[in-house]
Amino acid sequence: MNGPAAPSPVPAQYREAFEAARPSLRGAPARRAAAFARFAELGFPAAREEAWKYTSLRRLEGRRFAAAGREASLARPLVLPGALGTCRLALANGFLRPELSDLERLPPGLRLRSAGGAEDAAEATALRIPAGGGTERFAALNAALSPDPLLIEVDAGVRCADVLHVVVVAAGDAPTMSHPRLVLRLGRGAAARVVVHYLSEEPAEHFVNALVDAELADGAELQLYRLQELGARCFHIERCEAVLGAGARLELRDSQLGGTLARLDVHVSLAGRAAAAELTGLFIADGSRHLDMQLRVDHRAIETTSLQDYRGVAAGRGRAVFNGKAIVHAGAQKSNARQSSRNLLLSPGAEIDTKPELEIYADDVQCSHGATTGQLDPAALFYLRSRGLSEAAARGALIRAFAGAVLSRVDHPALAARVHEELEARLGRLLEPQP
Amino acid sequence: MLSIRDLHAQIGARKILKGLNLEVGAGEVHAIMGPNGSGKSTLASVLVGREGYEVTAGSVTYLGRDLLGLPPEERAREGVFLAFQYPVEIPGVNNAYLLKAALNAVRKQRGEAELDAFDFLALIRAKMQLMQMDESFLNRGVNEGFSGGEKKRNEILQMAVLEPKLALLDETDSGLDIDALRVVANGVNSLRSADRAIVMITHYQRLLDYIEPDFVHVLSDGRILKSGDKTLALELERRGYDWVRQEASAA
Repeated sequence: MNGPAAPSPVPAQYREAFEAARPSLRGAPARRAAAFARFAELGFPAAREEAWKYTSLRRLEGRRFAAAGREASLARPLVLPGALGTCRLALANGFLRPELSDLERLPPGLRLRSAGGAEDAAEATALRIPAGGGTERFAALNAALSPDPLLIEVDAGVRCADVLHVVVVAAGDAPTMSHPRLVLRLGRGAAARVVVHYLSEEPAEHFVNALVDAELADGAELQLYRLQELGARCFHIERCEAVLGAGARLELRDSQLGGTLARLDVHVSLAGRAAAAELTGLFIADGSRHLDMQLRVDHRAIETTSLQDYRGVAAGRGRAVFNGKAIVHAGAQKSNARQSSRNLLLSPGAEIDTKPELEIYADDVQCSHGATTGQLDPAALFYLRSRGLSEAAARGALIRAFAGAVLSRVDHPALAARVHEELEARLGRLLEPQP
Repeated sequence: MLSIRDLHAQIGARKILKGLNLEVGAGEVHAIMGPNGSGKSTLASVLVGREGYEVTAGSVTYLGRDLLGLPPEERAREGVFLAFQYPVEIPGVNNAYLLKAALNAVRKQRGEAELDAFDFLALIRAKMQLMQMDESFLNRGVNEGFSGGEKKRNEILQMAVLEPKLALLDETDSGLDIDALRVVANGVNSLRSADRAIVMITHYQRLLDYIEPDFVHVLSDGRILKSGDKTLALELERRGYDWVRQEASAA
């Protein structure tokens, strides 16, 4: 995926951070070193790299971040959000906080393994680096530096109805970088519901380089709720990888709300017959926020189905990029790939670039895609005003309706309510008359 | 109640209303008839403040106030209501929300307290019964997936709930079968009162069999050419519009 120009060399601070962390890193030193070498080799994106066409990391590259230390991260008092699950795991700067986690109350059949200690097969895969795409480099950096990769295993046949709330907090008085890593392994026919919730302590401009790596064996089901609510000055880069066996099902319900610059790459491989993935989400790029979502679903087996349905709102000088891609590989007959990207621009200074893409190498498939970017419907606005609603109330109702269409898919009432509340809190800003 | 004097309006460079005069008093029911393109819907749009229409001359006074100076929501709160010819579909904004927000906006203007959920529901249920609408409509998006007839019924439902002082009906009869027309007419007739005026814009005499007007006006080429009582509508039905135009140009 690299463009013609040479990648930008890795800033010295990352090498320094790696050298400093090295002695305390758990896991095989050679694996960590190889991961860092991969990061150094790939470097930061070059100016013309296709995968970073609309998102420049120059701002991030120029910032200095302190490496998060274990003692400081473990000692720091944390303000945790309201529960979005029946049990919680808390990470501070990528370090597991056992005293804030329900380690003794995990649902039966669901096991947490911190991928440290002796080298074993599970650990080897827990630090793996997803290949390709614009974020392989950051996944490699994460594999090199992630202090406590959380490896969550759900035994075959175990269906956990409980929701696991993984709270990932970026903390520090000074700008701090962290590399949280969550690895989910669902056995045959297992089912799990997981909320991954990103937060930060104000007001520092932290850098969160996260990775979620899910493997669903045949017939497994994962509901993954993602809630990115970092502070307005934070940088967030995330690679979310999922491989699905036959008949497995993934539902990603994404809310990309925070940060000054946030990039999410989701790569889903439908590897087994009749595997299915639904990726839906809402993003709100207000203020001067820059959000970039890159989705890719590979249909590699017959009868696989995918849905990508994202809605975005941009206001102020906000900027968003959405690139949804579905690739139906040769042999993936009778597959069904649907994509929808709908976007709302609330001010002249806002911008959303959207590109749904289909690549089809099989002949017996059903695919559809659609993308729209527009403003609030003037006819609907007028209709509401003609019934006595103020312009602000009418605009608010239409914005809520727009976001509500995708939030209605979130079958987690407390989480949906939290996103609705956040939307309400921001409506004032979204409704501001724009210059 | 409503006094329109020498009203001129255009869309872009196209002049549509060319000196329209109309007086509507409280308690009166008026019908405005006319051929396609005569300016009927433009008149309705101008009265409710739809964007894109430029008033170049004339005045509209409503209850002693300059109506044209008010934004659309203020007109609604002051009691002006238009039942749209083509009600817009608004997925995701449900009917109950709209009815409640609209009713509370109007009540606030009248100096009345907001209705609580219980009283609101009781009111809505009664009005829905009047309009023979199923309660499931409340939780659907505004006009979303409604048939033509359902949309028109929904307009009159809103009108019945909001109890406007000046009700404007733009081609409310178009697209209705005879049963739906009866229901709609019944809803409108239930609103006839001494302190309310109703102005119906219509193509056909048919509606007037069910909602009997006090006055009938013929609008053609942006002006009222002739006014009369309900017998004028019957004459128009029989003879068409040409004779009115000929009579007017001869005068």
